[in-house]
Amino acid sequence: MALKFRVELVWQDEKETASSIYLTGDGRVILQGRAISPQQRAAMSLPADGEMISVDRSLIRAIKEML
Amino acid sequence: MFLRNYWYVAASAPEIGRKPFRRIIMNEPVALYRAEDGTPIALEDRCPHRRLPLSMGRLVENDVLQCHYHGLRFDRTGACVRVPGQDMIPATARVKSYPVVERYKWLWIWMGDPALADPAKITDYHWLDDPDWGARTDYLYAKCNWQLVNDNLLDLTHLAFVHETTIGNMALVEHAAVRVQRTPTGVQVTRWIIDQPAPPTFVKVGGFTGNVDRWQIIDFQPPSFIRLDVGATPTGTGAPEGRRVGGIQMRNLNAMTPETDTTTHYFWGQAHDFQPHNAEMTERVFQQIKTAFLEDVSVFTMQQTNIGLDPDAPQVDINADSGGIQARRINDRLYQDEQAAMNAAKTAAE
Repeated sequence: MALKFRVELVWQDEKETASSIYLTGDGRVILQGRAISPQQRAAMSLPADGEMISVDRSLIRAIKEML
Repeated sequence: MFLRNYWYVAASAPEIGRKPFRRIIMNEPVALYRAEDGTPIALEDRCPHRRLPLSMGRLVENDVLQCHYHGLRFDRTGACVRVPGQDMIPATARVKSYPVVERYKWLWIWMGDPALADPAKITDYHWLDDPDWGARTDYLYAKCNWQLVNDNLLDLTHLAFVHETTIGNMALVEHAAVRVQRTPTGVQVTRWIIDQPAPPTFVKVGGFTGNVDRWQIIDFQPPSFIRLDVGATPTGTGAPEGRRVGGIQMRNLNAMTPETDTTTHYFWGQAHDFQPHNAEMTERVFQQIKTAFLEDVSVFTMQQTNIGLDPDAPQVDINADSGGIQARRINDRLYQDEQAAMNAAKTAAE
């Protein structure tokens, strides 16, 4: 499936730049984050199943501001 | 919705001379003229006596503007200095005067609180009178709200449709990766096309023999200043990292001034860094862009017509609108801030 058109949204305040939000041509929103390892899941008592990523708070702020 | 505490373009510099010139800005009539020493002056274009436009009058001695109807005279500060047939001048007989600055071949006006009018806040358009660039400016009258022009300039995908026969093609839509960066003071929309053949117009003026790295960077500064930075360099020479050597650059420079809620004074210019002193080149580049802009103006008119018929008709946003949406959000926030500050000042004064 070719993503023909892609928009990267970047939000920046006086101090920092949030990681990107991608709007894809097939209607998805892709967030930039880090995968949660099994060790982290265990340490933080997170559910063991399902894909998880961690994103920083500035990205959440960017989502509120930009989407 | 108008944001008042900003410098806007009121006129191109050559438009204004000793004959008073009328222009409506943000629903306010303004008379523009030059003093004998060339200094631009802007006064409210409405005599406080019977509200005739002062621009219908004429300048008399000491740069005083005389009303065409009953001869009341106003100095450059807007104060009435003579009422024919009487010695007493009513205290309320004065018109507003507006700060004006001449810069970048344009006259800039401040419609808000004069105490805040710092010329250092004028948006940079130096390419229009920089000797290292060739440039030409123009004026278009757009029958639409000023924010529709913002939307248009911040969106690259309409080029493929509105400007199909001039500057656009489907590749702009089908293979675009666009970056929309929102900063505390504005929005930047960026697109890079790396290691691709140069378009024919670029080959003609840039003499490229191989592939190029091209950029299209749209910079929005609120409320309505949009500067497009486009160009190309031979591929691999480092343009994406900021080293622009051996290529060509152009700037498309736009400044929208609201006339009313549904009409806009659209000032724009086109600048190029190749053959900057070749007037024929400047004209050729300018005419190519102007053709495209006239296509946009037709679109604006019909959009505004439909908005007028039903302002609440639903509107769908698509990915390509991202830049325009961010610009509108910034303007909405600035408008709320400005209104709050004005209300606070009014309350304090009462």
